[in-house]
Amino acid sequence: MKKYIKLNMNEMPYPPPIEVINSAKKGLSNLNRYTSQESLEMLKNMLSDYSKAPKEHIILSSGSDLLIREMIHLFSKRRKTIVADPTFFPITQAAKQFASKLLKIRLSEPSFDLPISYLIDELSEQSLVVIDSPNNPTGKILLDRVEDIVETGAYLLIDEAYYEFSGIGFAELVKDHPNLAVTRTMDKAFSLAGARIGYLIAGKTFLNDFSGFDTFLPLPSVYAAIEALKNIDYMKKNVNKIIDERKRVEREAARIGVKVYPSNTNFLLMKTGVLEVARELKKAGVLVFDLSNQLSSEFIRVSIGTKDENNFFLFSLGKLIKTYNQNSFK
Amino acid sequence: MKKIGLIVNPVAGMGGSVGLKGTDGNMYKKALEMNANPITPERTKEFLSYIKNFSDITFFTAPGRMGEDYLREFNISLKVVGSISENVSAEDTKKIAEEMVKKIDLLVFVGGDGTARDIYDAVGLKKPVVAVPSGVKMFSSVFAVNPRAAAEMVDSFIKGTDLKEEEVLDIDEDAFRNNKLSATLYGYLNVPYVKRLLQSGKEASRTDKHTMEDKEGIAKHIIEEMDDEILYLFGPGTTTKAITDKLNLPKTLLGIDAVFKGKIVGKDLNEEGILKLLKKYNKVKIVITPIGGNGFIFGRGNKQFTFDVIRRIGKENIIVVGTEPKLRNLNCLRIDTGSLEVDKTLQGYIKVVTGYREKMMMEVRC
Repeated sequence: MKKYIKLNMNEMPYPPPIEVINSAKKGLSNLNRYTSQESLEMLKNMLSDYSKAPKEHIILSSGSDLLIREMIHLFSKRRKTIVADPTFFPITQAAKQFASKLLKIRLSEPSFDLPISYLIDELSEQSLVVIDSPNNPTGKILLDRVEDIVETGAYLLIDEAYYEFSGIGFAELVKDHPNLAVTRTMDKAFSLAGARIGYLIAGKTFLNDFSGFDTFLPLPSVYAAIEALKNIDYMKKNVNKIIDERKRVEREAARIGVKVYPSNTNFLLMKTGVLEVARELKKAGVLVFDLSNQLSSEFIRVSIGTKDENNFFLFSLGKLIKTYNQNSFK
Repeated sequence: MKKIGLIVNPVAGMGGSVGLKGTDGNMYKKALEMNANPITPERTKEFLSYIKNFSDITFFTAPGRMGEDYLREFNISLKVVGSISENVSAEDTKKIAEEMVKKIDLLVFVGGDGTARDIYDAVGLKKPVVAVPSGVKMFSSVFAVNPRAAAEMVDSFIKGTDLKEEEVLDIDEDAFRNNKLSATLYGYLNVPYVKRLLQSGKEASRTDKHTMEDKEGIAKHIIEEMDDEILYLFGPGTTTKAITDKLNLPKTLLGIDAVFKGKIVGKDLNEEGILKLLKKYNKVKIVITPIGGNGFIFGRGNKQFTFDVIRRIGKENIIVVGTEPKLRNLNCLRIDTGSLEVDKTLQGYIKVVTGYREKMMMEVRC
């Protein structure tokens, strides 16, 4: 099997600390047992402290995408569902499947801003608004306040999968706004993609429908998550490393003629000028996220990897652009 | 000081409002018989009024209504090149362009796809050009998005900008009038490259599974929402045709048809025909689809929807439909009605029906 450099899933390139790995191993050695209620409560308590949101408002799941899907499934009927476009793919997928009425709001170059005033104009009828902020794949923070939306009575779900990189989140506000909910994940910043710990911090309006949703998460995942939350500094150190490296990649990519959009995440949106660029990079041994179905085939979303991985990506992309330009001028 | 040439095709675009879909060959005479008004004078004046750096330009212009008349109004230095016949033709455009090309740094022409072909024949890649859109279809990618953008391209050229080869298409107008879009690549012209100011060329209609499913969903959605009290004006294109197909009605693929209470009440309408219907029916809605590749909803290929028609019908009565694969390649929707005032009323965000109970809110720019 060919080995690729994986820059397509927005994973943290650095492994979790040894304490987290040892905790997961402890969970593995008890795989014949279900996760105890005490462990789940402990994880919720720690997430409550970390998010500054009441524990009773936290719902756990194997991955935040399942929670997003469930939110849309439960609350899109008899409501207009409003999403950004482009957005995190599971949001669009679930909205298309479950929404009785769907409105996508196109984010356009060069800013990829969400036109908030037009969005608010749409909230005169009952609505469920699902926004990822920072947005995937643009990396842009789409919401800097929520009051204008939630005060209309609309249900608002914000996916904050990249909260640790952006530093902007609304979890604390769910206790004041029953119609506000936030999804987060430990997959990215906490280096726990393989553990799949996602959580929903939901306002009161949503809580009844989620009773009993979060039981029986895998034991190794729960143990790993608890230990990771004891090591917040390790996560923060990695996040800072990624942000520094992201800035370097942004500069280097711009130097080879790529349009790079400002990001608040662990990935970069790039417009390369090369058609089918993701396919071509795969041939060179680099996996990046292909955006031909969301923007166009010259766009890619590139996760920030280790310095060596990023250098190989930049080298491969530079070579590709050079060849492409030479062929274009023939 | 830059030497800039100006050639205006005075008959370009005249076929638009009267529904002739072009003025190539002798069609402009027919347009005159149908009381069509010249389009290019206003477009040329609009272009010239937006140029910022007149003091950096010496104009070389075609005589009379092919350029000189408009420049005289701006009281600037100019040199007239060549002479023109009484009934101007493509030959005048080519002859003057050939004569001008040795004297200038940049050529500006005002016209449509046919004029672009004439300019290509005379100039080729010898000198850069700026194309002020003033035709009926304008499917070639050499054109600026509107006259104001063309003026900005001239300013960019003066300041110094890269050049890029853009396509000139050969549209078979006779086939077009018979509901067939036959476009072949005619050649390339060098244009100052400021991407946001240039329109993209028209892309071919898609027939992939996703597109066909979207069209089916769009047709179902629109038909479900149709009201027997409202007259619907269906614009050109295969997406609007999918709706009339589902209604079992014949559609002029590249023209405008009117439907009321499930029946056709107007075929291949021109501006006059539409205005007559507007007097007869109280409630009227337009159903249009953007042009694939460049996103124009008004001002390209559907000039029968004049700015007067659009103003009377109003933004709230415009229904835009488009498949996701088509919209995916568009950063925004475009308008170029010929009236900046009307263009501004359509600016902002508009909802596009993309499927059954699915809409996409997209920015409209002018």
